[in-house]
Amino acid sequence: MNDLEYPKVKSNFSPPLGDGGFFHFTFAEVAPTFDEIIEFVQSADLEEEHPAVIFIREILAELNFDTAISGGYLVKDIEELNAKQGMIRIDGQELNLGRQVCGYIKESTHAALFLCTAGEDFTRMTNQLNEQGDIMEAYILDAIGSLTVEKAMDKIQENLRDSFLSKQLKISNRYSPGYCNWPLADQKTLFNLIGENKTGITLSDSCLMTPRKSVSGIIGIGKHLKHHEYGCKICSNATCIYRKILNE
Amino acid sequence: MNQELLEKLSECVEFGKINLASPYPPQMKGMPGADEITKEALEAGVTPGEILNEALISAMNKVGQKFSENKIFVPQMLLSAKAMSASMIHLKPFFANGSVKRKGIFIIGTVFGDLHDIGKNLFSMMVEGAGWEVIDLGIDVKIEKFVEAVQQNPNAVVGISALLTTTMVHMKPVIEAIKSAVPETKVIVGGAPLSAEFAASIGADGYGKNPQEGILWLDKISA
Repeated sequence: MNDLEYPKVKSNFSPPLGDGGFFHFTFAEVAPTFDEIIEFVQSADLEEEHPAVIFIREILAELNFDTAISGGYLVKDIEELNAKQGMIRIDGQELNLGRQVCGYIKESTHAALFLCTAGEDFTRMTNQLNEQGDIMEAYILDAIGSLTVEKAMDKIQENLRDSFLSKQLKISNRYSPGYCNWPLADQKTLFNLIGENKTGITLSDSCLMTPRKSVSGIIGIGKHLKHHEYGCKICSNATCIYRKILNE
Repeated sequence: MNQELLEKLSECVEFGKINLASPYPPQMKGMPGADEITKEALEAGVTPGEILNEALISAMNKVGQKFSENKIFVPQMLLSAKAMSASMIHLKPFFANGSVKRKGIFIIGTVFGDLHDIGKNLFSMMVEGAGWEVIDLGIDVKIEKFVEAVQQNPNAVVGISALLTTTMVHMKPVIEAIKSAVPETKVIVGGAPLSAEFAASIGADGYGKNPQEGILWLDKISA
């Protein structure tokens, strides 16, 4: 049964404990390190004078987004979880997570629905670089955007974990529509459940988010949750150039 | 002399020496890059076709080969593509007036519902470097957009990219619509979760595990 204390507000991220539900970050607070970027773009063996290395050093010093990076979560009761059918019901609406994701969170009694964005600046600057023919630089900046939104989400997830640890509750890894066989079309239900929110993230007809550097999804909450590896850690595709993006 | 220029140009593209001002690679610092050498070659009477076939295509071939063997990674490949573009700018007028024939038109896009474009972009550059005209429809490309592009370019070959298992299933209706609009259109698909079996099962004519495989397939069908 529900032994959590949190306001059931559907129109905005509801802080489950104190002000914990919505977060703004400066770039400095969630910036990937030089080494993380180098590893991500598989450039550890490049010389110091390689343009990729020089660009990473320069752009890290230049980037200065103050409030565009934001995210949060909304905690909901899970009314029904059917692992066999790969479905959970929240607020009377079905999320068809698929059997894989449902299996990962099957011990959950609650779910945190989350959104997080690194903001529009990354897309704008990446497009600008592409237009002027600086395709390598655009690729690196795009990668920094991906790492940034994941790092921001890491912090939000840490907050969630800490909030529920005091109640002897564990949280699962985070899972997103489009990955682990969770159909992308479920974005619509997910956004519907979250409702209006302060992140400014919108959804297109084909269920893609704007700003582009955004993530959405679900985190299970329960007393008896087990840890499951996710994303690149369980993917065997050695040739995928995105393999480091997913929740490392 | 001309052969020497073509070899130098090929080397510039392979190692990403864009122009005179580019400080990289260090051993070529202060030397002309792909931009200046292409200009010089054209002035010396090297034909645009020779530049394309004997310098750019061979250089991008080497780059593609090294990438498929994990000897280089995306940043190096993009630097080479940038050097290739610096050379290609000088060839564009010859493509436009028809004095240099390209192998054909290649239409490419990431399937609807998917916004991943790194693989698509890399392949586009390799295809352009292999002597094709590329029409890049971008990401999240709807069926209608693919069909419209094929109707406007009925002899084109189409490439469709997807990164996710949840979006690769969108490729089948795209292929069906393309084949229904212009039946003889050849379609190649690519992306991390795909396999040759999956490609065949959705009616694709070709599958590229990596850019180099895709280029080989294009070479085969255009031969």
